Amino acid sequence: MPQFFLNKRLIILLVSIIILVALIGFSLKDRENLTWPEQFLKDTTGFIQNAVSSPVNYVAGFFENVEDLQNTYKENKDLKTRLDELARLESEVQRLKKDNTELREILDKKDSLSEFEPKQATVIGRNPDRWHELLIINKGKNAGIEPNMAVITSKGLIGKVKSSNTFTSTVQLLSSMDPTNRISAKIQAGENNFFGLIEGYDKEEGLLLLKRIPYDAKVEKDQNVITSGLGGVFPESLPIGKVVDVVPDEFGLTQTAYVKPGADFYDIGHVMVVKRGALQPELMEMVDEKEEEL
Amino acid sequence: MRRFLLPLILLALFIGESIFVQVTPHDLLGSGKIAVPRFLMAALLFLTIFGSKKHGILYGLLFGLLFDIVYVEIIGIYLFLFPVIAFITNKLMRILQTNIAMASIIVLLGISFLEAGVYQMNLLIHHTDMEFAVFLSSRLLPTLILNAIFIILAVYPFKRLSEKFADSLNE
Repeated sequence: MPQFFLNKRLIILLVSIIILVALIGFSLKDRENLTWPEQFLKDTTGFIQNAVSSPVNYVAGFFENVEDLQNTYKENKDLKTRLDELARLESEVQRLKKDNTELREILDKKDSLSEFEPKQATVIGRNPDRWHELLIINKGKNAGIEPNMAVITSKGLIGKVKSSNTFTSTVQLLSSMDPTNRISAKIQAGENNFFGLIEGYDKEEGLLLLKRIPYDAKVEKDQNVITSGLGGVFPESLPIGKVVDVVPDEFGLTQTAYVKPGADFYDIGHVMVVKRGALQPELMEMVDEKEEEL
Repeated sequence: MRRFLLPLILLALFIGESIFVQVTPHDLLGSGKIAVPRFLMAALLFLTIFGSKKHGILYGLLFGLLFDIVYVEIIGIYLFLFPVIAFITNKLMRILQTNIAMASIIVLLGISFLEAGVYQMNLLIHHTDMEFAVFLSSRLLPTLILNAIFIILAVYPFKRLSEKFADSLNE
């Protein structure tokens, strides 16, 4: 027995395993903000990444442009067919927009869940191990970026801000598997909207899982999925993707839809961080006064 | 000057891994296959084998912590695995001959240990629900192919570099 305690290496191993478990537990805790040494290190490396990534992106962009040139003819043909449709859509959008503002004025309702202001940012890093799908972007707290804001590309929602430092922020993609990563979404089905939660990602098929849709909802293929704005943080009607398949869940009480994301989760260069126009409700405001008295 | 060259190269590899993932297409080795660059781990193991064992483990700790904070945001995974694998490699090399071919195989073994370790940790904290067989075919195999190419290209330069680093420590 005394020999066991004299074995220095064994004790070092045991102590380091205890520290390891403590550290992992500490960082898995639902943290509002990172500690200042972490923020400092992230900002410092972000500075180097920023300096390196711009020339690299320039070179990579050049090769992409050459590739694009080869497809120009085919693309041009496709786009021309869509152009006729566009003129009609545009006039309709304008009419609806005007209608909307007029009706809002009548109702005296000023803020809407779908209002937002986008902030441009460039991706300067990505987690190489690809277990935790995280991006590092070059804007932080001093550009007004806060945790939990939605992040989009021109094609749709890609994720949310996980943590923000002074000069850089970390974005968690929809494709990363994190039990706390949930987004309130709705399916546009003609007159009706069906609500559900985006929870999880099928890596092999590249499809998002939209769970907890009511069992009687008639969801069909190719219907659009957008954010609902009901989660409290994201604005309404950011595009997410299209429905591919619907299956009942294991107990038959709700349905799960497989959603093909509109945005590409891999080829991301520039993103927009979205700040919701409508106020975010504080938790305290949602507690009923009577309830408080009890 | 020589004393600082190696840490600088390690830092460049640390940032290079992230840029490599960004620039290369995600289905580099076939669709659904994920090839993870482990260049930093390879360089740390070369340093442990050819240079100084103490510095291999020390830099393992340092860059493990940096990797956890900057890329993963969960402190502890790489902080633990980098030095432990460097330590095991050092123990293995005492039994085996220190030549280029043997070192390359051992480094590749270390990288597969790292991948399996990270997989187990993620399974433990419910950040993945991948099955082991899927992990072997869609992650471990492509990762080993990618890193084997890197090791073949880098083994000789890193041998020279590590030996010079060890010499500069002795001066």
